Amino acid sequence: MLAWGSLSKTDVIAAIAVIALLAVAPLVGSRYIVGIMTVALCYAIWATSWDFMSGLTGRENFGHALFIGTGAYTAGFLNVSFGLSPCWGFPAAAIVAVLFSLVIGIPTLRLRGPYFALAMLSGAVVMQKLSIIFSETTGGQDGLNGLSPMLRSQVSAYYFTLAALVVTVIVLKFIALSPWGTILRAIRGDEATCQAAGINVNFYKISALMISAAFAGFGGALYANYQLQVGPDLFDVALSINIIIMVYVGGMGSIYGAVGGALLLIGLTEGLRSFSEYRLWVYTLILILILFFIPNGVIAPAWVRLREWIKGRGALFTRRASA
Amino acid sequence: MSALLEVEGLTKRFGGLTAVKHVSFALEPGEITGILGPNGAGKTTLFNLLTGFMRPDRGAIAFDGAPLIGVAPHRIVNRGLARTFQLTRPFIGMTVVENVIVGCLAPRVRAEGHTEVRARDMLDRVGLGSKADLMVDALSYGDLRRLEIARELVTRPKLLLLDEPFAGLGTSEIEPLAALIRELHKSEGLTILIIEHRLREFMQLVRRVIAMDFGEIIATGTPNEIVRHPRVVEAYIGRGGDDLEARLGVATEVVRGTA
Repeated sequence: MLAWGSLSKTDVIAAIAVIALLAVAPLVGSRYIVGIMTVALCYAIWATSWDFMSGLTGRENFGHALFIGTGAYTAGFLNVSFGLSPCWGFPAAAIVAVLFSLVIGIPTLRLRGPYFALAMLSGAVVMQKLSIIFSETTGGQDGLNGLSPMLRSQVSAYYFTLAALVVTVIVLKFIALSPWGTILRAIRGDEATCQAAGINVNFYKISALMISAAFAGFGGALYANYQLQVGPDLFDVALSINIIIMVYVGGMGSIYGAVGGALLLIGLTEGLRSFSEYRLWVYTLILILILFFIPNGVIAPAWVRLREWIKGRGALFTRRASA
Repeated sequence: MSALLEVEGLTKRFGGLTAVKHVSFALEPGEITGILGPNGAGKTTLFNLLTGFMRPDRGAIAFDGAPLIGVAPHRIVNRGLARTFQLTRPFIGMTVVENVIVGCLAPRVRAEGHTEVRARDMLDRVGLGSKADLMVDALSYGDLRRLEIARELVTRPKLLLLDEPFAGLGTSEIEPLAALIRELHKSEGLTILIIEHRLREFMQLVRRVIAMDFGEIIATGTPNEIVRHPRVVEAYIGRGGDDLEARLGVATEVVRGTA
């Protein structure tokens, strides 16, 4: 893994430029495009929250959909079954997802080996089955329908999701650059050495999972509020795997790369619609090529190179000016 | 002055093998002590027991007056007992200075703040100042050893355990590292316990040697006494042969590294 270092002025300017681009998109795009982009922004929140825990500490989570699904269903239940305002769904979704992260994280994160990854994977599968078995309360395969929208217009929902993503990335990147982030990356390096340096690795791993779950649950509620529908596919293994692929393509451990990975892959899925039944073939082929030839990912490493190039040009320019 | 570390009847079994058998010793503050023994004598297991990475089957450890059995490794470090690993285990993917910063973030010393300044000062002390911003993958074996020591020293230990710090180092790297250890001992009054399987590196460094074989302490004394101790000779050369003097001669050569 590469080290992403600290934040420079160039990074901040680039981030503002990307946010500005995303902000003007609804002004030029069609309703359909705005819809796709809202979903893509939800994926970006899920991917960054996955990257925060698994990208930094190296403990792969194969069931991120568990947090997304529980968050989405929590928001759905509060709104549909209890008639609460959609606003309550967001904090409740985050809290319930954190509770699930504790149930799985506390027993499995202290163990070496694949237990954590497997427990997350099976946790998501179990919840998916439960949501089908208890169909009287959960709506079974159809899920919960008819959530009352928090925001009337589609464009305002887009902006709300964008704002949520910006806050997510800022918070997670801030923690990743703080001493906390240094410790999480050290855990990825070697857990025993961390202990020998006096660090309580279990505390940091479990806390990182809680933070990751909170944002994923929040993102799940966001998705539920946008789709106005919650279904068992939100617990699906395919969703968990998709999120992992997005982070890999974006560049693990960089936080912002995951956003790029999510937007890129959702864009790719849409762009390949013209291939109709061959779409999955082409999509998979492109992914395999990326993972094979650019194992460090595309977005974050590309930005690191571009930043170096900009700095080089800048230095050249000032040298010329002073000469 | 009471002992900094007291070990009493420490025993650890792995299945049928007793890796550490009724080991008892004590370390006075400010001492440099060596643990000598052939490969498989139980030296590293002893370190793992002392630092909480393994739990002994029997016995007691007291550090600074408080028992250590059943205390988690990171808590032991925060009480002032730090260790290095025989195979250096740096945080891959991070810079040299970041590796040391992690040690500065241990609860014991975190409140001191200025983590990066402290980390860089420590790297200067161990002679890695110019390499602070390199990725850790770029360091040589000898430099990784220095990095290990730096990462532990920033936690301000009272007792530092070094697990074969000279293993795998070239002759040109050994003397500077030994000088560094001597210097740290002199300037900080740090108590140090070193594992080695060759006596040669010990001669100049250590005042007292605890020799182990098959998990047991077989002799204790100054390096010169230990070289001539019949049980140590036996552990290294084996039993048999008739001329003890000849075997002692060989033993001296072996442990001095000339054979």
